[in-house]
Amino acid sequence: MEDPMAAIRETFFQECEEQLAELESGLIAMENGTAEAETVNAVFRAVHSMKGGAGIFSLDALVRFAHVFETALDKVRSGELVASPHVVGVFLRAADVLADVVRAARDGGQVDEARTSAMVVEFAQIEDGGGVAKAAEPGAPAPGETLADTPAQIGGWEILFTPRPELYAKANETAIILRELKRLGPISVELDASRLPELHELDPEGAYLTWRIWLEAACAEEEIRHVFEFVEDDCVLSLTPRGGEVLAPAGFAPGTVITGDNGFKFEFFPPVAEDEAEPSPEPEPEPEPEPEPVAARAVAQIVPPRPREEPVHEAPKSPAVEAMAAKAEAGAAVSATIRVDLDRVDRMIDLVGELVINEAMLSQRVLEAGINRASGVAMALEELEHLTREIQDSVMAIRAQPVRSVFQRMPRLVREVAAQTGKQVKLLMEGEGTEVDKTVIERIADPLTHMIRNAIDHGLEPTEARLAAGKSVEGTVKLTALHRSGRIVLEVADDGGGINRARVKQKAIENGVISPDAQLSDDEIDNLIFLPGFSTAAKVSDISGRGVGMDVVRQSVAALGGRISISSKPGVGSVFTLSLPLTLAVLDGMVVSAKGHTLIIPLGAIVETLKPRGQDVFPLDRDMNVLALRGGYVPMVDVALALGYSEAPIEPEQSVALLVEGEGGVRAVLLVDAIHGQRQVVIKSLEANYRAVPGIAAATVMGDGRVALILDVDAVVKTARSEARGAELTLDAN
Amino acid sequence: MTEGLELPAILDLVAAPGLLEAFTGRRGQALVVNGASVQRLGGQCLQVLLAASRAWAADDVPFAVAAPSEEFAANLELMGVCAADLAHRAPLAGKEFGE
Amino acid sequence: MTTTVLTVDDSRAMRDMLRHSLLAAGFRVIQAEDGLHGLEVLETETPDVIVTDINMPRMDGFGFIEAVRADEARRATPVLVLTTEVDAEKKNRARAAGATGWIVKPFDPVKLVEAIRRVAA
Repeated sequence: MEDPMAAIRETFFQECEEQLAELESGLIAMENGTAEAETVNAVFRAVHSMKGGAGIFSLDALVRFAHVFETALDKVRSGELVASPHVVGVFLRAADVLADVVRAARDGGQVDEARTSAMVVEFAQIEDGGGVAKAAEPGAPAPGETLADTPAQIGGWEILFTPRPELYAKANETAIILRELKRLGPISVELDASRLPELHELDPEGAYLTWRIWLEAACAEEEIRHVFEFVEDDCVLSLTPRGGEVLAPAGFAPGTVITGDNGFKFEFFPPVAEDEAEPSPEPEPEPEPEPEPVAARAVAQIVPPRPREEPVHEAPKSPAVEAMAAKAEAGAAVSATIRVDLDRVDRMIDLVGELVINEAMLSQRVLEAGINRASGVAMALEELEHLTREIQDSVMAIRAQPVRSVFQRMPRLVREVAAQTGKQVKLLMEGEGTEVDKTVIERIADPLTHMIRNAIDHGLEPTEARLAAGKSVEGTVKLTALHRSGRIVLEVADDGGGINRARVKQKAIENGVISPDAQLSDDEIDNLIFLPGFSTAAKVSDISGRGVGMDVVRQSVAALGGRISISSKPGVGSVFTLSLPLTLAVLDGMVVSAKGHTLIIPLGAIVETLKPRGQDVFPLDRDMNVLALRGGYVPMVDVALALGYSEAPIEPEQSVALLVEGEGGVRAVLLVDAIHGQRQVVIKSLEANYRAVPGIAAATVMGDGRVALILDVDAVVKTARSEARGAELTLDAN
Repeated sequence: MTEGLELPAILDLVAAPGLLEAFTGRRGQALVVNGASVQRLGGQCLQVLLAASRAWAADDVPFAVAAPSEEFAANLELMGVCAADLAHRAPLAGKEFGE
Repeated sequence: MTTTVLTVDDSRAMRDMLRHSLLAAGFRVIQAEDGLHGLEVLETETPDVIVTDINMPRMDGFGFIEAVRADEARRATPVLVLTTEVDAEKKNRARAAGATGWIVKPFDPVKLVEAIRRVAA
C-alpha cells in the first residue's frame, strides 16, 4: 500500500498548482480592471490555502513567503491598501516567486532567498506607500510564548470552576471537563448550588453552579489549563496548589498562545463583553471573597465594549433561512462534479478501444458469413456500431480538458522573457476553453513555451527598431487555440518584423542546409528555421537558445502526429501554427488499399476524393506527376511507391485519388488502389513501433484482426513538394 | 397520583428548556423520574434537575429518580451529585439539598 | 459508539490529511468542501463534532458556524475551528458565532484528535 502521507502531499502540490493558476488569473483580472468583488477574496484564499497546507508538511519557506504575501493581500481585501497597477505588478511578481517556492518545496530544490527577501522588501514598500503604518509581519506565525515555567510538583490542586452561560452555548460541557480532569488524577468534586434559583425562576440556559474540585495529581498548572483551554474565557476559574497560594487569577489573558513542539498552537478567546452577556445570577454580592470575579472584571475592562449581538442561542432563525436561500442560489449555479481517478478513465478508454475493435471484427465476420445487409442481425449490428461510437465519444469527453491549464502558465513566461530581453510585451490569449484530450494537453506545454519564447526573443524587434518602424513600444504576442477539422490548432502570432528571409537563406547556405543556387519560395525559406541546427540569432540567446532549436520542437510535435509551421510577413509579424490531433487515442480515418496493403488516411487531412482523368495528369520529372485541378497544379503521390510497396508506378486512371491537405494548407493528391470506407480506429503503439517508418504515423488493429498502418499525410505531402521543388509552379494555388 | 417522567437520552443544552417545562407542568404531583435511557447529562439539565428536586422538597411532594442508567449515575457522580440525594420522600421532613 | 466528525475545508490536501488522521483515531469522518456544502451534509448527517476552516469560498466558517448554531438541533454540537488565521478579530468573530474552540494550523494530528475527544461528549 502506498504511503498515505505521500499521496496527501501530492494532492497538496496539485492543489497548489490550481491555486497558483487561480492567483495569477485573479491578479491579471485586477491588472486589466476586469476584477469582480470576489476576485480579491479568491486571490487571498489561494495564497492562504497554500500557506495552510504547507504548514502540514512543515514547508517553512513556503509558509513564510505565503504569509507575507497573504498579509499584503489581506490589506487590499480590507481596503487598507489600494490595488494600484504598481501594487498589482508587485503581486504578480510575487506570484511568480511563490510558484518557484512551491516547486522548490515539491522538488526539494533551493529557494532563491535573494528573490524572496527582495519581494518581502517590496511588500513592505507598497504597504508603506499605501499608508499602512506597520510593515509586513515577520515570517510565519512566530512561536508564541510558552507557559511552561510553572514550578509544578505540588501535592495536588484545588480548582474552582464556575461556567458562564456562553460556555454551554458554545457546546462546551462541564461533565466533559470534569472527565478530562479525572484523567490527570483522582478527583473529588463538590457541587456548590447555592446560587441556583427557584425552579420557576430558572433560566434553563443560564449557568448557576460552581464546582470545587480537588485533584490529587502532581501535575503542572499548564496541564490543568490545557483541560480548560476552550472554556477559559467562558468561565471563572481559579487554580490553587493544595495548601499553597492562589497561583494565578482566573484564566489566561485573552490571546495567550500555547505552543506545542511542532508549531501546534492554541489561542484563547478574549471574552465578548460578558457583563452584558451574562445574566447576573444574584442580586447579592459574591458569596465568597474569591479572587476570580476581580480578574473577570479586569478582563472585561481590557476588552472594549462592542455593539452587542443577539446572544447566539436566542438569535432568530434568520441566519439559517438566509443560509438556506444562499445555498439554494449557489446550488443552482454550481454544477455537480465528481473527481475520478485518472487511471480509471484511462482504463475505460482502453476498454472502449477494445470494444470498438471488437465491434468492427464482429461486423467483418457477419459480412463474411454472407448475411443480408437488410437482415435483423445486420441492422442490430449497425445500431451497436452507432452506440459504440457514442460511448467512445462520451468517454473521450470525460478525459477532455480545456487548454486553459497550459495557457495559464504563459503570462508568467511572457513576463520573464520580456524582463530578460528588455522588451515590453503584451500577451493576448484566445480560446482557452478549447478542449482537447488529456494525453495531448500534457504534451503541448513544451512546444508552446518554446514558440512563445521564440516569438518574443526573435519575433519582436528591439524597442528602438519598433520605434523606428513606427510601431508601439509594446509588442504583442497572441496565443490562440481553436478546433479545425478535427484537430486542435495553436497559433502564436507576433507583431514583430517577420522573418528576415535574406538572412535565413544566407545562413542556410552557410550551414550547407541548401545549395547556394536553390530556388525557394518565401514560405519554404521561412520554414527553414525548423531544420536541424538552424539558428539566426547573431549571438546565442539565453532565452530561445537553451540548446534547443526549433528543429527539436518540430520533431517532438511530429512524434505526436502534429505539425508546426510558420508564416511571416516582413514588417508585420510571424505566425507559428501548431496543429495536433485532439486525442492520441482514436482517429477517424479512410480505409484504403495500396498494392494489397491496408492503410488508414486520417479523415481530417482529406479534402475530397476524385477519379483522375488522363488529360489532367502532367509528368513533371521521371517519377513525379502533377494533376491539373481547377486551374492549379497539385503534385501527385503514388502511395504504394512512396512507401516502397511497389516498384512500378500505378496508372493514374486506374487509381483512386484523394486530395489531401497538410499543415499550412499544402496540398497533394494521393493515389491508391481502392477506398474501403470510413472508420474510427484506435491508435496503437503510437511511438513504440512505428515511428521509425517514414510516411507512417501510427498503427491500428482492423476489424479482421490485422494491423493497418496510418499514413502520415504531412510527411508524404512534404516529400512530394520537395521533389517538385525547382519546378516553377504555384503548387498551393488551390 | 404518581406521575412518571421519562428522561431523554441526551440531556444537553438543547434538552434543558424542554426538561424545565416538563417539571414545571408536573409541579405539585408526586413524580418518578425515569433515568434508564439517559446517556449524557450536561450542566444545564443538572441545574433543572436540582431545582426540580428542591421545588418538590419545598412543596413536600414525593420525588424519586428511578432506574438511573449507568451513564446517568456516573455523570451525576462526576458532577458531585448522588442520585439518591435528589429524592424526596414525603411526608418526611424535606431535606435541604445542595451544600 | 463511534464518534462522527464532520470536517469542512476547501483544501483537498487538508481534507485528506484530516480524514487520514481522524480515521486512524477511530472516528467516522464526513467531509464537506465549504460552509454551504457543510450545511447540506448536515441535512442528512448528525456528526458529534464539527471541525471547520474559516476561509472558504461560497460560505466561510463564520457563516457556517452561525447557521449551525441557528439550527435548534445543532446548538449543542461542538464546532472546532481549524485555521491559519491568527488575527484576534477573526477569533472573536468565530467565538461570537458560537465556535467551541480554535485550533491554529499547522496542527498536530494527535492534538487535534485529543481536542475532538475533549469536546465530544
